[in-house]
Amino acid sequence: MEFRRSGDLDEALASLAELGDKAQVLAGGTDVMIQLERGEISPETLVHIERIEGMRSIAENGRLTLGALVTHIDLAQSPVLCDRYQSVARAASLVGGWQTQAVGTIGGNVCNASPAADLLPPLLVHGANVLLASKDRGEREVPLADFVVGRRTIAREPDELVTGFSLDNSDSRTADIYKKVGRRGAMEVAIVGLAIRLSVDSTGTINDARIAVCSVAPVPFRAQAAEQALLGTKANSEETRTAAALILEQAEPIDDVRATARYRKMVLPRIFENAVDQCYSRVASDLS
Amino acid sequence: MNSVSASVLVNGRSVTIDGHGATTLLEFLRNSLGLTGTKEGCSEGECGACTVLIDGQPITSCLYPVLAAEGRHVETIEGVSEGSDLSPLQETLITAGGIQCGFCTPGFVMTLTALLRKQPNPTGEEVANALAGNLCRCTGYSQIVEAAISLSGVERKS
Repeated sequence: MEFRRSGDLDEALASLAELGDKAQVLAGGTDVMIQLERGEISPETLVHIERIEGMRSIAENGRLTLGALVTHIDLAQSPVLCDRYQSVARAASLVGGWQTQAVGTIGGNVCNASPAADLLPPLLVHGANVLLASKDRGEREVPLADFVVGRRTIAREPDELVTGFSLDNSDSRTADIYKKVGRRGAMEVAIVGLAIRLSVDSTGTINDARIAVCSVAPVPFRAQAAEQALLGTKANSEETRTAAALILEQAEPIDDVRATARYRKMVLPRIFENAVDQCYSRVASDLS
Repeated sequence: MNSVSASVLVNGRSVTIDGHGATTLLEFLRNSLGLTGTKEGCSEGECGACTVLIDGQPITSCLYPVLAAEGRHVETIEGVSEGSDLSPLQETLITAGGIQCGFCTPGFVMTLTALLRKQPNPTGEEVANALAGNLCRCTGYSQIVEAAISLSGVERKS
């Protein structure tokens, strides 16, 4: 197996244009190396992109742009994210231990497209677009919800590289939160993961509600019906319970080694109600 | 693009990498360099037994392609002690009872060495967070955490 270093973006795109399906993109390696060891993938060439300059930045310019090579530690410790994008920082801090967070990248977590990917719910509630580049067709942006199309399946063409993510702007009338249920605090694949982003008007009425969950279906998803149920409310307990029931209608949890479907259905509404309470109190307390 | 030879700094010594494609740093350290202090546990990045430092950051060498280490500084357990003198952290782990079978110990030492350089006076919570990726099946962790806390400000920062 060939190991091909990419000194810059153009080199990486040239490699992918040349090799297509025969290439496997490699950044931190925390997922790819396991899949190689297990024989789940067998590329002819590993296209190493980790040292490409300029793809590891966190920049706010209207929207928030995260380079694909931003690591989980970068996200967890970023002063830009710690307030208005704290669901992203929190989710990143819960992926594996220090060793994984030091090298594992946001691009890798998204492209691996695990049903339990911690970063997907927070990125979904922040309206993330995936930024793609290819040698022959230039750049394009795809909404994240259209990019992760199935369990471990993404809409990346073989000659394309994910270069980053673009997130919706977030202001002082907006708050977000990520909650994860696992058997341990760290180093655990989510049994249920949930992100919420709420915005309110000057009276504290919710005018934008976004909810996304992972580990309860083959693909992490936005719970639109539940979002509608919170719109125009002040998130009192009855409305929140109604919304919780609507998320459950959309969920298709399975029994697996980590938990039963029944447990997932029991725990999901509880962490949701708890998360709405915390998120709404934060955004409402900023009104005064 | 695919250079013929690559070198890496291992415990301060420049060595030529002889791995290919998906050869892991762990395989290279143990099989090519004979540095068998770094242990292979789960081979899936869950247990932390194979932890080494790359440019000061702890990583699981079982998942790290050796060719990705080109030009970087790798520190292993063999580089922590000075000659036959154990580091203060190693001494303290012994006296605190933080070692039983010892298989996980090199990984713990590497992660804690990185932590103590960054944060010479860690709280128990900081130590526990730093060690989330290191598993020990013997000690129950508390002696390891206590050893790290008791070292506050003592560990060399080199």
